[in-house]
Parts: sequence; structure tokens; C-alpha cells
Amino acid sequence: MAVLQRTPDVTEQAVQTDGLLRIPITERGTLVRNVDELIRRALTRRNFLVGAGSAAALAAVGCSKTFQPATTPLAPTTTLTDVDYLNFALNLEYLEASYYLIAATGSGLEAADAGNGAGTVTGGAMVPFTSKIQQEYAYEIAQDELNHVRFLRSALGSAAVSAPAIDLENSFNAAASAAGIGSSFNPFASFDAFLVGAFVFEDVGVTAYHGAATLLTSSTNLGAAAGIMAVEAYHAAEIRTLILQAGSTYVGYANQISALRATLGGGNETSLSLTSVVACDPTNAIAYARTTSEVLSIVYATSVGGATSGGFFPAGLNGNINSTTP
Amino acid sequence: MATTETQILDEVIVSSRRRLMMMSGTALAGLMLGNSTKAKAEATLTDADYLNFALNLEYLEAQFYTLANSGQTIDQIGIGIGPGTSATGGGTVIVKPSGAASCKVPFTIPAVASYASEIASEEQKHVNFLRGALGASAVAMPNIDLYNSFNAAAAAAGIGPAFDPFSSDVAFLLGSYIFEDVGVTAYHGAAGLLTVSANLGAAAGILAVEAYHAGLIRTVLWGLDQANPGDGIAATTIKISNLRAALDGTNNDDIGLATAQVSLNTSTANFTASTIVNADANTIAFSRTTQQVLNIVYASPSGAKGGFFPSGLNGNIS
Repeated sequence: MAVLQRTPDVTEQAVQTDGLLRIPITERGTLVRNVDELIRRALTRRNFLVGAGSAAALAAVGCSKTFQPATTPLAPTTTLTDVDYLNFALNLEYLEASYYLIAATGSGLEAADAGNGAGTVTGGAMVPFTSKIQQEYAYEIAQDELNHVRFLRSALGSAAVSAPAIDLENSFNAAASAAGIGSSFNPFASFDAFLVGAFVFEDVGVTAYHGAATLLTSSTNLGAAAGIMAVEAYHAAEIRTLILQAGSTYVGYANQISALRATLGGGNETSLSLTSVVACDPTNAIAYARTTSEVLSIVYATSVGGATSGGFFPAGLNGNINSTTP
Repeated sequence: MATTETQILDEVIVSSRRRLMMMSGTALAGLMLGNSTKAKAEATLTDADYLNFALNLEYLEAQFYTLANSGQTIDQIGIGIGPGTSATGGGTVIVKPSGAASCKVPFTIPAVASYASEIASEEQKHVNFLRGALGASAVAMPNIDLYNSFNAAAAAAGIGPAFDPFSSDVAFLLGSYIFEDVGVTAYHGAAGLLTVSANLGAAAGILAVEAYHAGLIRTVLWGLDQANPGDGIAATTIKISNLRAALDGTNNDDIGLATAQVSLNTSTANFTASTIVNADANTIAFSRTTQQVLNIVYASPSGAKGGFFPSGLNGNIS
């Protein structure tokens, strides 16, 4: 696996091969006049193949159902870069790594992995595992998410944001209350409860990386994000399968969480059952994608527009993507 | 802003498409995909070529799961397998001598039967989706072998002289294991090659679903292995993974079900973890080139046609 370039290189690459990103385009007239240039840039955007074949791809696939022309108005010219999306992902990985590490060992990220001035973590405790296989599952996912933190921090280099403040206690209680599970929920109380806590995160991770995939401009970054998304999907399937094995009480909790996420996160949920382990759209069996705002609504546990903190992130995410759509 | 960029590109593509539509029929035909039967150089492969490559793999998966779930082939349940939008005209499926109906797995674990039903449905939808997306450019289903292929794979992997994935719950899960991780690596490899944002989004979404399937199959197999330590289930997955890694030439990009020592937030590898996820040292899923995927599904380290596709894949990547 090719390792992501450190930040200065990523930035340079964006400037050199992806000038489109850096050009604030505010008029459609300009766009149309420069259509050929823009096509050229589009085709080289991700080290794309060039030549007639690619033009033909646009022609042929453009006729297909996969193509959906944009109808929404052009957004303001705030420039979000790959670094912003990767830092957004890093915040989510801090949350997941903290949850799993504390569940597995009783302690969270080490200072070297959390970054300078990292926020505090509220709540959490080692899960009282009752079998070896339970521990093996928890240890594996904890290591996986820690590896994601380390990978993204390394890839981002000096541009990496530090871990924000994370709440693993009040957040779960509030989510349980909002979902109708009860006035409190401690995901560290048992292995089965731990699975439900994990369920809160994993499907969201898939939708977040899926949503980001088409926004990344560097082919290397896209490849890494797609690979991390796949791992989150492995995790999600594992957790969903184990919750089914845990029995109907926990399946019920999971589906109450799922319903809450659907309310906050624009739908994009598949209720868990023996015949619906995979979370995907029922027509085409394609996994859901969420916008950063939809993801933030879920992790902030709020449907309020313009929210910048709440839920699992009492002081908000670090980085340029930290607000739900106003 | 990247979302703006995506919208701009979409508009660019629309206007580009419209201009092409206005070109003469001959010129347009020359540009359209799927009209060339000659092998294309890697440099000229298009989105449609990669989507057709994926469609071949989805035909394979859909046939396997549908036969396991219901003892029928996908064309028997109304899914098109012909070229373009034609329902008929595709290749044939070789199954065990006792026939397609005998491929319905005699499930004894209700959950596994449910999983087979779900995955069959999802792979059928992937076939329909890709065929719909490709339209007239969709390739027909190639000839598929679900009998000799598994026997040869078992022999090559050192599992035994024969392997019938339709014979039991565990056999079915092991047959599934052969496919799902490969699907993940194939879509992962293709993701960076697609040029149209919408195609990339769809491919990423299918990639995630294949990873869900792989995670599901691996979790169930690991649980069965731990509950039945004498059955050698995990050992078999390791043999399959090793075979795939050997076929693709890397010998190091496939991890079977086992345990591994991890350090977590300490300095020593004191924690015994499972290996449900099939990923690299950074816990990023592996990626394979189309050639590496072909080597695996052809069961040939040199990429010679065979294995699950005795006549090769249809389309420009074969």
C-alpha cells in the first residue's frame, strides 16, 4: 500500500495537477467557455487516463443511469481540500480508537497518538469480557482503529489536527434517551452492550468515507480512503453479525439507534435483521453515503443547523469541517 | 470547494455529452464503448471497461449465491445475462453433474441460510445495477464454471482433491470466502481508475457492500472455527488466502482467519486479536490490479483463461 504523501506534497500536488480546485469559479459563463480545459483537468484529476477512450467513457457512461447531472446551485467558494476531509476522518478515528481502546484495555490513546493539546476523554472503562473470543474481537478492532489514527496522522504530518474532547458517557446516555432505549446506556457494562456501542459508530464510518470518496482529489488519498472505508465495512458487518448472535434485546437496541441515526443523518439506514446484515440501499444494494453535515448531525446528536459541538464531541471537531449545514 | 468542483464537472460532462450526441452517427459510434472487440491497451481503458470487468465478477458471485440459495441460475429467476439489454445470449454455467437444483445448500444453521438469501439478493442487484448502468455496452455473462474450478482450487490450495461448496453450511461459507475478499480488492483497485464521479460513488458503494459480505462471512466462519476447533475451518481459510496471494504474485496480500499479537496502546504485543479484517499493516484493505484479479479467478499465475471463467471474461479486460 502506497503511503500517503505528507502534507506539503499533497498541497503541491493539488496545486500542480488539480488547478481546478484552486480556481474560484463563480460564473457559469466562464465555466462553459472553458469547457474543454475543464474536461482536460477532469481527466487528469486523479491521474486519470487520457485520450479518446476517456472522452468516450464520458459519452457512454454519461448516457447511463449512473450519471446524475447536478441540479443544485453552485456553493460559495470556500475551498475545502483533501487535508480537510482527511482531518475530518481523523476526528472520527480518534473517537473510534478511544472507544475501542478503553473498552479493550481501560485506557485510551497515548499522548503521542492524540497530538499536542489533545482534548480530554470523558467516561469509559474496560469491558468485563467473559471469553477469549470476545477479547480477540475487541483487541482487533481497537488495533485497527488505532492504526487508522496513526496512518492519517502520518499522512497529514504537521497538518494533522489533535484529538478533540471526546465524551463516551453523557453521549451514550443522551443517545439512549433520544433513541427510546432508556434514560441511560453504558456500552462498557458487558460485551453485548459494547457491541451496541460499536454499532453506533461503524455504519456511520462507512457512510462518511463513502461520502468523502468522491470529494478527494488525489488518487493516492482516494485509494487510502476507499481502503479504510472497506475496513469500516468489515467492522460494521462483524458487529452487526455479533449483535444478531447476542439476541433480540440487543438487536432491538441497535435498531433504535439505527432509527435515531436515520432521523439525524438523512435516512441512509438499513434495519438489522437476519436477512439484512448489510446496510445498503434496497434497490441496488449499494452502500449509503453521507455528507459531512449528516455525519456531524449524528456524532453531535443534534438536528440543529449550524451546530458546532455536542454528543460525542462536546467541544466540536478539530479542523475546518466542524459545523452542520446552517 | 470540492463539492462545487464535483458539480462543475458534472455540468462539464453533461455539456460534453450533449455535444457528442450532436456529432454524426459514425463519429459517435467510433467513440462509444463496447463496439471494439479488439483488446485495448491499458492506457485506453474506460469507465465502461472497468464496470464491465466488475459485471463479470458480479455474474460469478450472483450465480454462486443464487444456486446456493435456491438451486437456480440467475437467468432462471429473470435476470438478464445477454449482451446489452438482451435477457438471453449469455454463456453457460457448469455445475456439479447432479445439476443446478442439487446446488441448493442443505443448510442446517438457519442464520447461514438467511445470510445466503441476503447475499444472493444483493449480488443479483449488483448485476442488474451494472447492466442498467452500462445499457447497450453491457457485456454478456461469460461461461462460468462452479464445479471443476472449486475442485482445482482445493487441490491447488492443498485442501484436498475435491471441494463442493454446495454441500454444507461450512462448505458454502468457505466457497463464499473465496469470492468476497477478492471482490473487495477488485473494486478497491478500480476505484482510483474511474473517471466519472458518479461511477466512482457507485463503485465505492459496491466496494463497501462486498466488504460487508466479507466481514459477515469471516465473522461467521471464525465463530464456527472457535466453537469446533477440530474442524480446521480457519486453517482452510488460510490455505485459500495463501493461494490467492500466490496467484496474484505478491504472496503477502491476503490474510486468513487466525489470531495475531497486537500492542494496542502499549509498547509490547501482548494482546491476542482475531483477524476478521483482511487488510495491510496500516489496516487499509488490500487493493488488486485487474491482472491480479484475473490471475485469481482464472486460477493461473500467468493469467491464462480458466478457473471460474473457462473462456475468459467478456469485455476489454480479460
